[in-house]
Amino acid sequence: MSGVPAFAAAAAAPLLAVWLLPLIGAVALWALGPALKRTAGVLGSLTVLAAFGIAAALFPAATQNGGVHVPLVTWIPGYAFGLWLDPLSLIWTLIITGVGGLIHVYSIGYMWNDRAIARFFAYLNFFVFSMLTLVLSDNVVGLLVGWGLVGLASYFLIGFWFQRPSAVAAARKAFVINVFGDIGIMFAVFAIYQQTGSIAFADVFAKAPSLAPGIVFAICLGLFIGAAAKSAQVPLHTWLPDAMEGPTPVSALIHAATMVTAGVYLVARFAPLWNASPSAQTLVAVVGAITALTGALLGIAQWDIKRILAYSTMSQIGYMILGVGVGAYQAGVLHFFTHAFFKAQLFLGAGLIIHALHDEQDVRKMGGLSRRLPFAFWAMLLGTLAIMGFPGFSGYFSKDAVIEGALLHGHPVLAAVAALTAGITAYYMFRMIFLTFFGPYRGDVDEFSLGMPLRVHAAAHEPDQEHGGHAPDWIMQLPVAILMVPTVLAGWLSFGTESPWSRFFGGLFGAGEPAAPFPEWITTSGVLLLVALGLVVAYLRYGSPGAQAAAIDRLRAESRGMPQILVRGFYFDDLIEFAAVKPAAWLGEIFSRYVDPHVIDGAVRDVVWLAGALGYVMRALQNGLVRAYALTIVVGTACFLAYFAFIGAVK
Amino acid sequence: MTLFWILAVILIASAVFTVTQRSPVYSVVGLLTNFLALAALYLTLNAEFLAIIQVVVYSGAILMLFVFVIALLSSGVGPFREGPDRLPRVLLPALAASLAGLGFLVYAVARVPLGPLPAHRPTSTLGQAGAADVFGSVSDFGVALFTTHLLPFEITALVLMVAVVGVILIAGDAAPLPTRGRHRKAAREREPIVKAGR
Amino acid sequence: MSVDVSNYVVLAAVMFFIGVAGVLLRRNPLIVLMSIELMFNAANLALVAFSRVWVNNAGHIFVFLVVTVAAAEAAIGLAIVVALFRRAKNVDVDEVAELRG
Repeated sequence: MSGVPAFAAAAAAPLLAVWLLPLIGAVALWALGPALKRTAGVLGSLTVLAAFGIAAALFPAATQNGGVHVPLVTWIPGYAFGLWLDPLSLIWTLIITGVGGLIHVYSIGYMWNDRAIARFFAYLNFFVFSMLTLVLSDNVVGLLVGWGLVGLASYFLIGFWFQRPSAVAAARKAFVINVFGDIGIMFAVFAIYQQTGSIAFADVFAKAPSLAPGIVFAICLGLFIGAAAKSAQVPLHTWLPDAMEGPTPVSALIHAATMVTAGVYLVARFAPLWNASPSAQTLVAVVGAITALTGALLGIAQWDIKRILAYSTMSQIGYMILGVGVGAYQAGVLHFFTHAFFKAQLFLGAGLIIHALHDEQDVRKMGGLSRRLPFAFWAMLLGTLAIMGFPGFSGYFSKDAVIEGALLHGHPVLAAVAALTAGITAYYMFRMIFLTFFGPYRGDVDEFSLGMPLRVHAAAHEPDQEHGGHAPDWIMQLPVAILMVPTVLAGWLSFGTESPWSRFFGGLFGAGEPAAPFPEWITTSGVLLLVALGLVVAYLRYGSPGAQAAAIDRLRAESRGMPQILVRGFYFDDLIEFAAVKPAAWLGEIFSRYVDPHVIDGAVRDVVWLAGALGYVMRALQNGLVRAYALTIVVGTACFLAYFAFIGAVK
Repeated sequence: MTLFWILAVILIASAVFTVTQRSPVYSVVGLLTNFLALAALYLTLNAEFLAIIQVVVYSGAILMLFVFVIALLSSGVGPFREGPDRLPRVLLPALAASLAGLGFLVYAVARVPLGPLPAHRPTSTLGQAGAADVFGSVSDFGVALFTTHLLPFEITALVLMVAVVGVILIAGDAAPLPTRGRHRKAAREREPIVKAGR
Repeated sequence: MSVDVSNYVVLAAVMFFIGVAGVLLRRNPLIVLMSIELMFNAANLALVAFSRVWVNNAGHIFVFLVVTVAAAEAAIGLAIVVALFRRAKNVDVDEVAELRG
């Protein structure tokens, strides 16, 4: 892998502009936001779209001579900060600013009536800046800074409607789990600096082969703990479904397309380190496969449309992690690329539905929306076809690439798990489609008949809305429409042996793919078989005319009869509650009930008491009697004489 | 040798007598005996001039001062009245501290071997009395006082003058009252401090 | 000298601490002042003894100065006693405890 190239003057300023424009936007919106009202949305979108344009213009510069490198600050030798745009960071930058820009435009419409719209766009711009810091840094510390800022932006945005206690709790949960991962990545960064004496990627990768295997594994382990927390891998995944408390554009941008893929970026970027430690690679791949399967299984049991998509995100990121874990970096990154498009589209489409139904998110209360919301129907359908890997759609190419990669790098079991997951994905995604868009509309059926829990409408916790008209439809539909194109077509970039995709990356990830022991069409057809199976099962349960006619009863039965293990999310939340939350709460209780009043306050009280007692004693000495004072003097003199009698200099 | 022990016994006995007597006049007499014994001891140590000074200044002046003050304080009053004992149970600690200090001091002294006594200049005999090279003689003392130690001598004079002024200020008569004006009224209000009473 | 000088010093020490005991145990200020005189004289005795050991005049000079200062101090002390007597008709060391803490 080539090192970081020399400074390219022509591309330095544009790269800085790409990085800093969202920051300028964020600061401006924070400062001036309340005065701008709805134009804040336009301003926020303009900064990000401008960044996208500039990044696209840097495409040629980024793919030649190892990319564009802009050194920024050299603090002390070995501590050089700078920006680096190579093919890997270029892909991420284009997705962040491109998909991010489209979501900004969408948000103008979605948050049309929200009183805090300026704050929303400020946070969104801040997020884009943080993510760009993460992917554009040429050193581990800059990456870590971006890592932390991204977590912060996520906290801001999940808890955007902070009047809701559930949103605040979800934001806190996400942040705490991310901090837990931050510990891992921090120690990895410390170890990297200690082992290599430098923080720049070029130096680290140059020294990678000469490090001891145990050290490399430890570093990779630390990095992966961080990646697992950020990318919601098992067992640090519990924050992602709860993060759906944030507005839907947030879910689309952060928790589908970009932030949760930071872990994938991390593994791909540190490819030389991972290539040097096969055991770390196996760990990553196994966790990725487990996450993919778990996410899919849990997606079967969800009734909230956003939670279905959240678990599907978790599952798909498992695919990406599996891909980069086995060493098939191009496959993993390709899946990130396609997933960004179709997942954003799915979320934005879900947002259209939620918006149209006035914040109804439960699938059981939907139905027949294909006639009422045709645009949303087509958007969701295309996205679903992509995610399940319908031949020709983008997801088909990337999923196959991941499964192929697993096989080629010697992990047949994991490949089988991934294939099985593909089938389950098809099942639950089409379950969602059938329940949402087909059959009669169930919006006016009472919750009890549908088997739903009783709802409490707490008006005080609803987001702060104004009531001033409605956003024009085209604002929200335009980004979705634009996204339809890459959702369908993006996969074709990797078609063929000398595809544009593989040429784009060149030798970035090390040696090429090993040769296939058997022709590709065998694996492809196997996967397609499972996918078709999943589709058929979904149709029989939810899509067939008979199923639709008996929808209400079937839904009630399914709601009541859902296996508890799935409803409780394989008890991960309970496990974390038991292992971490309860001990922490117990510790806090002990401190507040005993340590604080008795030990800490007690120490202060004791000092006061001591001062008083000493004063009481001293007061007895100050009785004004000459004889008492004389006695004191004599006693002191006796001590003095004792010193000279026994110890003092006599000679 | 025996002289020393006789004088030592007189010294200690008179000291104890001084400290323990009820009446201050008896204590003065005991102190006088103590000073005379002390002068004799000085003589055994060849410090003739100091022996005379001890008798003349201490017994002759200071003790007389004590006698006069006793007389002043007891005129027309009878035996001295003492208030309640505000520090009871002080006997034991006082004795303990004193004895401890004494013990340590004696031990410290005993630890130091002083070596053989050096040869001294011949003591004065009748024919050589007053010679300047005789240790402890008046001439010897005078020469040292007015040449080597002139400064302390002069400062001593200063100390004595300060003492005289201090005595006059502390024990002298009160300042006369102003005869007219507001100062007179204020001075009258301050009077009770001068007059007796509590 | 047939008598060891340490004898004189020990004698001085005993006399000194008799004076100390007098200061601590008596309440009549006149007796207290006399005990202080005892202490002065004990120091003088030690000084003269050591002056004899080193055959040096400086000890005698110092004794002279001590006598002078003792005289001044006795005068001042007695003046204070007289002033106290004028204020309150009993003379007791324990009564002058105005600086009580």
